[in-house]
Amino acid sequence: MTKLVTAQNVSKRYGRVQAVDNVSFSIEEGRILGLFGPNGAGKTTLLKAVLGLTDCDGELSVLGFDPFRQRKELLNDICYIADVAVLPRWMHVGRLLDFVEATHPRFSRKYAEELLSRTAVRKDARVRELSKGMVTQLHLSLITAIDARLLILDEPTLGLDILFRKEFYGNLLAEYFDEQRTILITTHQVEEIENILTDIMFIHNGRILLDAPMDSLGEQYLELMTSGEKADTARGLRPLFEREVFGKSVMTFENADRGRLETLGELRVPSVADLFVAKVKGAAV
Amino acid sequence: MISNQLALIKREIWEHRSFGVTPLAVASVMVIGTLSFMVIGSGFRDVIDMALVGASNVGEVERRAMLTGLLSVYTVVVAISMGIVTVFYCLDCLYAERKDRSILFWRSLPVTDTETVVSKLLVAMLVIPAATYVAILATHILVLLMASVWVEMQGGSAAHLLWNGAALLDTWAATSVIVFAVPLWLAPFIGWFLFVSGAVKRSPLLMAFLPLAVVPLIELTFESTLLAKAIWLRPFQIPLFSTDGVEAVIDRAEGRGGIELREDMVSLVATLDVTKFVSSPSLWLGLVVCGLLAAAAVYVRRYRDES
Repeated sequence: MTKLVTAQNVSKRYGRVQAVDNVSFSIEEGRILGLFGPNGAGKTTLLKAVLGLTDCDGELSVLGFDPFRQRKELLNDICYIADVAVLPRWMHVGRLLDFVEATHPRFSRKYAEELLSRTAVRKDARVRELSKGMVTQLHLSLITAIDARLLILDEPTLGLDILFRKEFYGNLLAEYFDEQRTILITTHQVEEIENILTDIMFIHNGRILLDAPMDSLGEQYLELMTSGEKADTARGLRPLFEREVFGKSVMTFENADRGRLETLGELRVPSVADLFVAKVKGAAV
Repeated sequence: MISNQLALIKREIWEHRSFGVTPLAVASVMVIGTLSFMVIGSGFRDVIDMALVGASNVGEVERRAMLTGLLSVYTVVVAISMGIVTVFYCLDCLYAERKDRSILFWRSLPVTDTETVVSKLLVAMLVIPAATYVAILATHILVLLMASVWVEMQGGSAAHLLWNGAALLDTWAATSVIVFAVPLWLAPFIGWFLFVSGAVKRSPLLMAFLPLAVVPLIELTFESTLLAKAIWLRPFQIPLFSTDGVEAVIDRAEGRGGIELREDMVSLVATLDVTKFVSSPSLWLGLVVCGLLAAAAVYVRRYRDES
């Protein structure tokens, strides 16, 4: 597998705040990576470094380019949605297509128009006349029509209702994703995208807490629901995190003995959201 | 690079509709004003007859002088309005994209910050002057057409009194030089406005003009006038006109006991001294200052953290 992004000891500091702290990771071609972290964890800073919007310490290579110093070359093969509300509100949809067509060598206007024809977005409308959902459809149509190898989405569905969110991710998979394309996505709505991810990465206080393929989570992490004396026994096995649900204890374990845990209660693979909470809160203990 | 530049310039024209609306509005007001003057003037039959007879009898040179003077009034009004448009455009073009956060979209495309700032500089120094020139010509032609109809209705000869080809071509040729030379001369101000537009967090108009007013005042307290002259007097010191200007002609003529107009005295082209303009060190120094300020605007757009 070709590595599209490689980061070695990447750090970024804003004054006294260490936004990203010595992180190393790689992203392979044809993967969909979800990057999760609480507010202020360093997600956006890391994405900005990958996009060449900010300089950083350490070694960072994106599609073989130094993203900060070779940004223009990089942007021929990469596209991103930094926020859904950033399309110029004064612009007509048709002119937006004209502009992207003139400036992006890998943009297919025909495909973008085909995608837009399936929506209620009119070409003669100004962006400010569109609903937030329609603006998102427009933005997604624009970037989907760019034959880019890496797509980066930073909170792409923020402020959208559940119907548009579902449609957005459905379209993303149907229209954009294939084995040659890679997606890096951040969102707070973890539950909605965990079934489309191939990999996840958790970041907290600028450090990576977890970086793993989705299909390896079941081998590494287990969630035990138990109570009473068995709960006390389970606590002795040093769970990552424990929470109470309807009077029962739910504990998350990392690399624990499955056979041993099965004797103590009901076992299941934790959801990404539960694992996220366990890792972040466990790291804080 | 060139296709990007063309797309960026087109984008500026789409975004800033004032490039078209302002000259249209100013020209309309002037045309309507001229029309009103003609309609009201039509009621004073005797005065009009005397004026037409007088205009027909004066010499060719005097009539050209009157026509040139009249057209220059329209030129100055359109040019001043477009000058104001330029100032507001420069102060807005790098500020508005940050205010509405569309900069995040623009910067997601393979267009460099340098290309973007250069496109805005080209708009201020070439596109707006070109629009100004077209607006001036259109206003002249419209006013002359209206005046022709009016003169013919009043019994005069429009061809003889108004459509003096030499005067028109001379005025339009001189205007083409002036509208493109003035932005070059005022380039340091354009660069300053672009830099302020890209750098400040709020109130670009205030932040642009406050230093221009205050810094020379502070300098004056140190009994120096270097900055005051460079900033306040520069707009009036454009070295585009020959020293043998209208005032010198009038002074000499008064010395002889009266103004005797010669053909070259009523030619706007003859008043221009392009060689003096392009060889002026002050012009080139101003362009260097403009370049440095534009580079600073590129720097802040590139390195500012917008999140």
